[in-house]
Amino acid sequence: MRAPIKPIPPKPSQYGIDPSLVKTRIADLPGMTSVSLKELFPDLPEVIFPGENGLAKVRQAAEEALMKVDMSMIKPEHSVNVLASHHGFTLLGGEPYAELLKAIKDVIEKRTGCRDIRLRAGVGMRFRETEEYIKRYGLDTYYDGKAIGIAPVDQGIPIETEIGTLYGIKKVYDADWIVHAHHSDVREVHFHRQVDKAVKPFGMSYARIETRSTYHQNLGPRGANFVARAIFDSEFVQKKFAFAAFLNIAPNGVVGVDVDNDLYALNDRVTFTGCQYYGKIMTLFGEIDECIAALDFPCPVPYVFSAGVIYANFTGANTDLYDLDAPLPPYTWYTEAFYGKRGKPLLGDIPPVNPAIKMCVHNYAWTGYPSAFFAEQIPTVVVGQEQAELFNRDPLNLNYMDYATVIKSTEAAMNFAYRATGTRKVIIFDGAMGGINVSEPLAELLTRKAPAVSERVDNELLPKWLRQRGVDLSVLNN
Amino acid sequence: MKLVTLLAQVDTDKCKGCRTCERVCPVLAIKVVDRKAVVDPERCRGCANCEQRCPDYAVTMIKREKPLQVGVDVHEVNYDEVVALCAKAKLHPEQRICYCVGTRADEVAAAIIKGARTPEEVSLVTGARTGCTIECIQPILRLLEAAGCELKPPEGGWQWYGRTATAWDLPEAVKQKYSSRGFYFEEDRAVLDKLVEEGIKGGDA
Repeated sequence: MRAPIKPIPPKPSQYGIDPSLVKTRIADLPGMTSVSLKELFPDLPEVIFPGENGLAKVRQAAEEALMKVDMSMIKPEHSVNVLASHHGFTLLGGEPYAELLKAIKDVIEKRTGCRDIRLRAGVGMRFRETEEYIKRYGLDTYYDGKAIGIAPVDQGIPIETEIGTLYGIKKVYDADWIVHAHHSDVREVHFHRQVDKAVKPFGMSYARIETRSTYHQNLGPRGANFVARAIFDSEFVQKKFAFAAFLNIAPNGVVGVDVDNDLYALNDRVTFTGCQYYGKIMTLFGEIDECIAALDFPCPVPYVFSAGVIYANFTGANTDLYDLDAPLPPYTWYTEAFYGKRGKPLLGDIPPVNPAIKMCVHNYAWTGYPSAFFAEQIPTVVVGQEQAELFNRDPLNLNYMDYATVIKSTEAAMNFAYRATGTRKVIIFDGAMGGINVSEPLAELLTRKAPAVSERVDNELLPKWLRQRGVDLSVLNN
Repeated sequence: MKLVTLLAQVDTDKCKGCRTCERVCPVLAIKVVDRKAVVDPERCRGCANCEQRCPDYAVTMIKREKPLQVGVDVHEVNYDEVVALCAKAKLHPEQRICYCVGTRADEVAAAIIKGARTPEEVSLVTGARTGCTIECIQPILRLLEAAGCELKPPEGGWQWYGRTATAWDLPEAVKQKYSSRGFYFEEDRAVLDKLVEEGIKGGDA
């Protein structure tokens, strides 16, 4: 058995406990090992990061891609807003995304002579999160003091769309041109269902509360992401859109950089790789019969990563999240909304939260996302009173600890979980790069099941997923 | 129902009176008076928007000495009226509309029946939209509109701007144009319709 991969370290943040309080990482406990993703699925792409040349390869890929895109619309006297989102900074330590943002500024300057280039970094629900990243990665200095975090409660701007007025954040659009700087990581498949994933920030991190609420409350679980397309297609946004620059991500690392003036062409490529690469991992996770899920990553509860899959998606791995014929995943906000007062679903066909998760050990994860549903549905142990207190003080999580219990140390929490559940299978959501940190029995199960999963996705599921989304294989020729 | 445990506190030395806090407060609990922000502790519902958006880091959230319980008892109004109002707004009465506080549609409907006329009044009495303050604005606006309330945002504020499209009023042309791209508009509407029907059938809370 191979040694565990070094997890992403805890990070100082107002949304998490002080890193010094994270005394033990789950991966360091006895019986833990790792599985290489390339060994599980040999057809996963070769990656440039992590790799021996580190960020230099990301920089090189970004510059090469950015040199090929049309920037002729940007004149020296113009202003440009480079639009970023918080999630990119949680990928593979955050440095690759920060490097892309730096390269975008440099290449625009070099190719157009434009000097008024600003960074506008949107957030999820932690309104100061990107402020923290801007400082951590030196982006404020790099962007000559023109880098700011933006939030969905900031001043808005109405945008006329095909479905009526929606609302964007004013500071997103206060330049002559916008550049959409994002990535192809799938993250919230339960929300966007891999439909227009590349467009999503226009309806989310670049959008006001009214738009985001439209997504999560008004349109339904599979129509939701249309708000992003509606805004992007608006005359107002189209007049400002210059190009999109994406970090091309697979579960095992950064594959390259994809830059295009046509966001929908890029979107089709993102849809394909999102279904193919991540679909295999998620389908494999659905084969896990029983386990303890250990959260150990500097992110809110649902967003902690294992092999590029977030915990929220693992709670739905008992179903096929990519299958659009199934309306409601085991977890999404529409599903959560449809649980009644007696704790039962209000509709008969709502699937249960993944019953393979026998217990969740919350060793280290942040506040800033309403997470009570997870603790309500899955027995949850939180390590350390300080972490419990942090959740008790979070306006989004005042009820989380109503359902979770506190245990003083990581070791004691895991021992409790082993005894209470009777399983020794552990999956660790700690952002390990290139592989998955797991316990030995789970490593054996994943290795044994992967070949059949790969074949099933290639031959049966992937063609269906792409057909449902109107995407054909020719997108890869572009 | 919400147990309000936090309270905004302003450091007047840092406050420059920019009014950002005023514009983002969902219950209008903070106002700039004589160029300094002042918090009304009776109104503050502890959402931390002021603390999170203050450009001068002049606001901190402190623990209340005595937590404040807010909420509307749905049994204090005629529940048939609650069900009818929710149905008109295309919501199930037991549907959770605020994911942070856990507020359900029936509590918001009861608040409106008892006299709340704006999202700010709804948030004040129920605590809804005092967590993330993002996701539940539309169902609150839908319930207020269904009750015949005029939707008028706070003047000069950024609290909210307007109601937006729902699954029931998407243009036919849009549905036809994009249904082959993975947007299951009609199928989703059928799911939501079924939920509303279940709400009407269920009735009793």
